[in-house]
Amino acid sequence: MNRNRLMTILLVPVAAASLAGCGVNAIPTAEENVKARWADVQSDYQRRANLVPNLVATVKGAAASEQAILTGVTEARAKATSINITTDDLSNPDRMRQFAQSQNQFTQALGQLRTVVERYPDLKSQVNFQTLMSQLEGNENRINIAVRDYNQAVQDYNTRIRTFPDVIGAKVFYGSKPKVPFEATTPNAEVAPTVDFGAGNTAH
Amino acid sequence: MPARILLAALLLLAAPACSRAQAAPPEPQPHFPALTGRVVDQADMLTPAEEQVLTAESAAVERDTKAQYVIATVRSLEGYPIEEYGYKLGRFWGIGRKGVNDGVILLVAPAERKVRIEVGYGLEKRITDPFAATVIRDRILPDFHRGDFGDGIKAASDAIVQRLRSKASDAEIAKEDHLTV
Repeated sequence: MNRNRLMTILLVPVAAASLAGCGVNAIPTAEENVKARWADVQSDYQRRANLVPNLVATVKGAAASEQAILTGVTEARAKATSINITTDDLSNPDRMRQFAQSQNQFTQALGQLRTVVERYPDLKSQVNFQTLMSQLEGNENRINIAVRDYNQAVQDYNTRIRTFPDVIGAKVFYGSKPKVPFEATTPNAEVAPTVDFGAGNTAH
Repeated sequence: MPARILLAALLLLAAPACSRAQAAPPEPQPHFPALTGRVVDQADMLTPAEEQVLTAESAAVERDTKAQYVIATVRSLEGYPIEEYGYKLGRFWGIGRKGVNDGVILLVAPAERKVRIEVGYGLEKRITDPFAATVIRDRILPDFHRGDFGDGIKAASDAIVQRLRSKASDAEIAKEDHLTV
């Protein structure tokens, strides 16, 4: 009996250490990473929303006849900013789809605006307009990077909670639910045009 | 042997398996050139003398401001948009101090006729989007359109270095670059 107790005492720390390998520590770390990457996605979308009222005002001054496009942009912005995703929603496919759809519609409305302003050379030569457009373009790139990093974090987390040995910790201790990746519109479909330095090319 | 001990023994056997953590495979990425120096002229757009000047300026700006600034010309973007190639290159090379992210890459891809100033998060308030766009439009493109690649890269580089060395506050820079948000 004494010998058995001694063996138990010796084995308990070993058992604890082996459980730690079963995702007891790694799962919350991976989940925190998903949440942090999502915060980046949201703040980049927020930055875009903050830029747009100024842009709309600037375009309105020089291209008043594009009222329909401008209204479309303002409405899409209002809809996109009305949907808030909490960290619980990251496991909710419906909420995530809603958010993605509203942001993608906002992206499309901005794409239409970008197309029509091509017809207004005076507007395009305004410093204020150029500044806003460069910020908007830079921000589209930041959004793309943030979305890719978030999706990578989701993939890491989901793989972890479904794969042996961490699946043990995921089921026994955490009841972990998979997170939903974010589907932005196809990259490049909406991305800001890049400057081409080809001879004779004047697009910039 | 009591069941308790048997269970403990089983867990002991499982220990090696449990320490093998699984993570998703990383995204595919381009075949980047090696970071051989402060100027990586894979596309051969610069003379040795130009490379020497740019290298010295990059070294001096890092000595004085800690910011890491690299000039890269690449033969091919391998089908990637330059924005994606650029930030992945920055991460691959580890430009900028860890946690500070104060790195800048002036990236030129002559085959695709693309140019980009890739800015680490830590320098976004110095090298702002409008500043980068203006440098590309006013300093690089006129020379590049004439085929004067070395001159264009040097002119852009001078502007970037000057901005990295600027003593102006973030607010003053925002004002200078006409930022409204």
